[in-house]
Amino acid sequence: MNAPHRLAQGGLIDRARPLSFVFDGQAYAGCAGDTLASALMANGVKLVGRSFKYHRPRGILTAGSDEPNALVELRTGPRREPNTRVTTVELYDGLVAASQNRWPSLAFDIGAVNDWLSRFLVAGFYYKTFMCPAKFWEMLYEPLIRRAAGLGRAAGAGDPDHYEKAFAHCDVLVIGGGPAGLMAALAAGRAGARVILADEDFRLGGRLLAERYEIDGKPGTEWVAEIEAELASLPDVRIMPRTTVTSVFDHGQYGAVERVNDHLPVPPEHEPRQRGWKIVAKRAVLAAGALERSIAFGNNDRPGVMLAGAVRAYANRYAAAPGRRVAVFTNNDDGWRTAADAHAAGIEVAAVIDSRAEPPAQFAALGIEVLTGAQVSHVHGGQGVRGIDVVDARGRLTKIDCDVLAVSGGWNPAVHLTCHLGGKPVWSDNLAAFTPGATPPGMHVAGAANGALTLAECLHAGVAAGAMAAVECGFPIASFMMPSAEDEASGVTALWHVEESRAKAFVDFQNDVTVEDIALANREGFSSVEHLKRYTTLGMATDQGKAANVTGLAILADVSGRAIAEVGTTTYRPPYVPVSFGAMTGHHRSRDFRPVRLAPSHQWAEEQGAVFVEAGAWLRAQYYPRDGEKDWLETVNREVTATRASVGVCDVSTLGKIEIEGADAAIFLDRVYTNTFSSLPVGKSRYGLMLREDGFVMDDGTTSRLAPERFVMTTTTAQAGRVMQHLEFCHQVLWPELDVQMVSVSEQWAQFSIAGPRSRAVLRKLVDERYDLSDKAFPHLAAKEVAVGSVTARLFRLSFSGEMAYELAVPARYGDAAIRAIMAAGEEFSMIPYGTEALGTMRIEKGHVAGNEINGQLTARDLGLGRMMSSRKDYVGRVMAQRPALLEPDRPVLVGFRPADRKARLRAGAHFIPLGATVTAANDEGHMTSVAFSPMLGHWIGLGVLKRGPQRIGERVRAYDPVRNGDVEVEICSPVFFDPEGARLYG
Amino acid sequence: MVSFAGLERSTLDGLVRPGHYGRAGATGLLIEERRDLAFASVTAKRGKRFALVNAVNTAFGVALPDGPRRATRGSVTFAGTGPDQWIASADGSEAAGFANKVRARIGPFAAVSDQSDARLVLRLSGPRVCDVLAKGVPVDLHAQAFKPGDIACTVVSYINTQIDMLDDAPTYQLAAPRSMAGSFWSWLTASAAEFGYDVIAP
Repeated sequence: MNAPHRLAQGGLIDRARPLSFVFDGQAYAGCAGDTLASALMANGVKLVGRSFKYHRPRGILTAGSDEPNALVELRTGPRREPNTRVTTVELYDGLVAASQNRWPSLAFDIGAVNDWLSRFLVAGFYYKTFMCPAKFWEMLYEPLIRRAAGLGRAAGAGDPDHYEKAFAHCDVLVIGGGPAGLMAALAAGRAGARVILADEDFRLGGRLLAERYEIDGKPGTEWVAEIEAELASLPDVRIMPRTTVTSVFDHGQYGAVERVNDHLPVPPEHEPRQRGWKIVAKRAVLAAGALERSIAFGNNDRPGVMLAGAVRAYANRYAAAPGRRVAVFTNNDDGWRTAADAHAAGIEVAAVIDSRAEPPAQFAALGIEVLTGAQVSHVHGGQGVRGIDVVDARGRLTKIDCDVLAVSGGWNPAVHLTCHLGGKPVWSDNLAAFTPGATPPGMHVAGAANGALTLAECLHAGVAAGAMAAVECGFPIASFMMPSAEDEASGVTALWHVEESRAKAFVDFQNDVTVEDIALANREGFSSVEHLKRYTTLGMATDQGKAANVTGLAILADVSGRAIAEVGTTTYRPPYVPVSFGAMTGHHRSRDFRPVRLAPSHQWAEEQGAVFVEAGAWLRAQYYPRDGEKDWLETVNREVTATRASVGVCDVSTLGKIEIEGADAAIFLDRVYTNTFSSLPVGKSRYGLMLREDGFVMDDGTTSRLAPERFVMTTTTAQAGRVMQHLEFCHQVLWPELDVQMVSVSEQWAQFSIAGPRSRAVLRKLVDERYDLSDKAFPHLAAKEVAVGSVTARLFRLSFSGEMAYELAVPARYGDAAIRAIMAAGEEFSMIPYGTEALGTMRIEKGHVAGNEINGQLTARDLGLGRMMSSRKDYVGRVMAQRPALLEPDRPVLVGFRPADRKARLRAGAHFIPLGATVTAANDEGHMTSVAFSPMLGHWIGLGVLKRGPQRIGERVRAYDPVRNGDVEVEICSPVFFDPEGARLYG
Repeated sequence: MVSFAGLERSTLDGLVRPGHYGRAGATGLLIEERRDLAFASVTAKRGKRFALVNAVNTAFGVALPDGPRRATRGSVTFAGTGPDQWIASADGSEAAGFANKVRARIGPFAAVSDQSDARLVLRLSGPRVCDVLAKGVPVDLHAQAFKPGDIACTVVSYINTQIDMLDDAPTYQLAAPRSMAGSFWSWLTASAAEFGYDVIAP
């Protein structure tokens, strides 16, 4: 396979390493060192994509990450990446890519009918057309529009590759490895600074790779190799190729994406595809270069119309001829280099059209046809350039045959990263471009990114910025021999739009925004640049208008009669280039999405076939199904019945456990709990209720006094972290004078609740016999250190189930041994393990509140716990809980509910409506917070909050559940359904 | 009567076997679980900091570090984990009943809680250890920034982690909450796989 447009010599490609690839089903050949763009170009492929809205044929415009047009679907199957810019894809053997947003084929695309209808599809078309009726929007209009206007298709399957996040630290981060960046890295590196040099390309050098510059009398690439070798020899300099710095954050933090293995078909085993970096740098040197812009004229989007600098890149770096006969349209000196380089590469140069009257002198010797004071008004050709119309200053029209038109509308410094923390770029009339304004703290800008557009200026500015950054980090200035290079011509006279053009003149190629769209937006009042962006979509999507924005707002300035500086820019936000979700997510997907916490008995529970449920970060056993049980409810009923009949065990290690020590520990507890703890005797536990400062209930749990100045508090599983935070806040901010110390011991202890009439008998077999466990010696709410074998354990007589129950805590390493020992000891009593469902059923049967009720919206009074609010002391939340609205008699208060028809099922979340009343929000009297099927009572039961609930016991209301079509008549009753006297606690 | 002797479990039991993993023919990281360390959290009582410094010095011969550093004498180490807060650790014969011993010696001046079972402790070394840690440790581990004896309490892969630099081999000790051991291991091994890693029997 011979690539017909491959130049016979030159370029930075490795002709000895041919690579084959497939585009739209057709096989082609390229070389190592090619991008997909250059390989397509070398093969004469001009038509690469279809535009977003009008489905116009599009080719390759740029040679970098600013590419708006040439987007493809890269790879196949689950690795398919839509909207991939061919200019950034490093060619590999076996690469497969396909064009997108076309049907049935790229060359013949039915969607191109939009182009004929384009006079109707102007800016704001969707807003104007799909207005009424509003309800059609979701059902009809949006799906239609999404199908018609689009980019590539997502893979639709999980990405099989691994991604990583990583951190790096340095004194000086250099962003960009062109001449300025290389000099900055070298200046800082020689001074001894820790330097990271990040470059987007797979090869260092920046524009030096694309130009025929010489430095110190050597070809630019040779000079780059020498600098790179020296940088690599410095111990604290890290070179990161294929790495784009995408974002600037506060305090010198930079986001970057390293495409570790995107240049291979599949990452090598054990290696990630990409890494998302957070780089922390004391100083940064932004040397991101400049981005060339086009000029708006008729059909300026035809395949073959390219940026002039890109034409040079393809010819010089990739030895790929964009065409056979090239014309150049420029408003600046730099565009002339394209003519010179094309000429040197043996590509015929049809003409140079310079919109300025006075072209630069040094190119006169080329012998190329030159039209000065002239503009290209129209491009001929559909799927490729066939010729151009040129209008000169006197209005005469000349037609020139060519198959490539290289356009340069000037260069925009890549100011993006200077704006991520709110900096606004500053307009320079001299450069006809925006240059950096106030930069983020610690950032210097060097070279073309700062508007220094000549090579000599870039080299000098790089050295100065690198040395300055190093000095600011405390390093000395290193001696430096400044490399010599020419200060090439770089004059420019702004030209944004060719007035004579009649055909569509595009500003934003990716979003199909034309000059006329901008004028229309302005006429319709969208004259603010931010409004213009939203109305026309100028500058949106994958390229974020890198090639379009400045031209667009210059045209807006023109049509609105303002200066460009007055119009200003839209906000530049991170990221600079599209970032894959993988690079942002790293390892944290699927089961690694967030850390999972496993209880000490987890493995044992798995062996028992437990079904697990997420409780915060924890996985808890939800229930333990047995063979033959038809559903979870049957299992839970068995677990509840067996526990109440004999004995059951549940892992409660997930509860938060906080040790609180110090001379003032009891005072501290009195202040954070509504009820009193200073009166709690050593060896006893007490239930406590904690409020937020605003008076609402924050959490509940038990606290036990282990010694006069030593307590252990338990919190709910969900609120453990929050309670710890609250206690530390109270101590450090509210009462630093208290002598109190607290530390979480949640991870230290494996804790099991052993409940049921035979719980003591089970414990008797576990706890060393020297401890008397009789009801008299170890009554309800007793707490004590005991020995279990040789292990020191903590035993609490606490009950959430209403049964006589104990909590046994052992050091976590013995958690697995403990659950096995407990079950062995309970075997003779038919002991069963129970999960969170049975736990929930039993607490609802007892009317105990839990997370469903302690939801941050209810007060102690709402929960029927008003009696726990001490009136003899102060505590957090006391005053705010007394606000009149919270004492309002009509506020819903906790009561119990049972279905009038005992066979009916209750649903949590149902709202209470008076019988006979219409279902309206005005008639809403509260809602059901928790429900369970009570195997003890044989019917569903519920807890809920109801307006004046306790005064209405015996009445009936409707429990109305529109989400699940539930409408059940329920009886209001006491929230304590089972053993209301509490006799079972004692035994 | 029950006995739990010999029934201690690490959360890595059943999850991890000694051996070589990841890239074949290369060992960028060595992972060794430490099960023999005992830990106790130590928090100075109000106004007792100086007395505590003296008591620790007398009882253990350790100069209590002021800041995120660790100080070791014999088999006992104190690491500064926050203002007036330390984590004491011990191995060998000191480990048995360590928290009680610490409380007995410095109890009047500090709150002491046993944390011996609260943590997964891994000792990491090998030529690529810093490259592995860079994938999760947000702290600068460059030789100029983090030296032997330095510690940091930080977050690794969303998991609270204490990292201690033990020597300039370099060897690091990472301690993460016991309940998150599986998630921590998942991150560590995914991060080390490209360099190859050996799991050493504890």
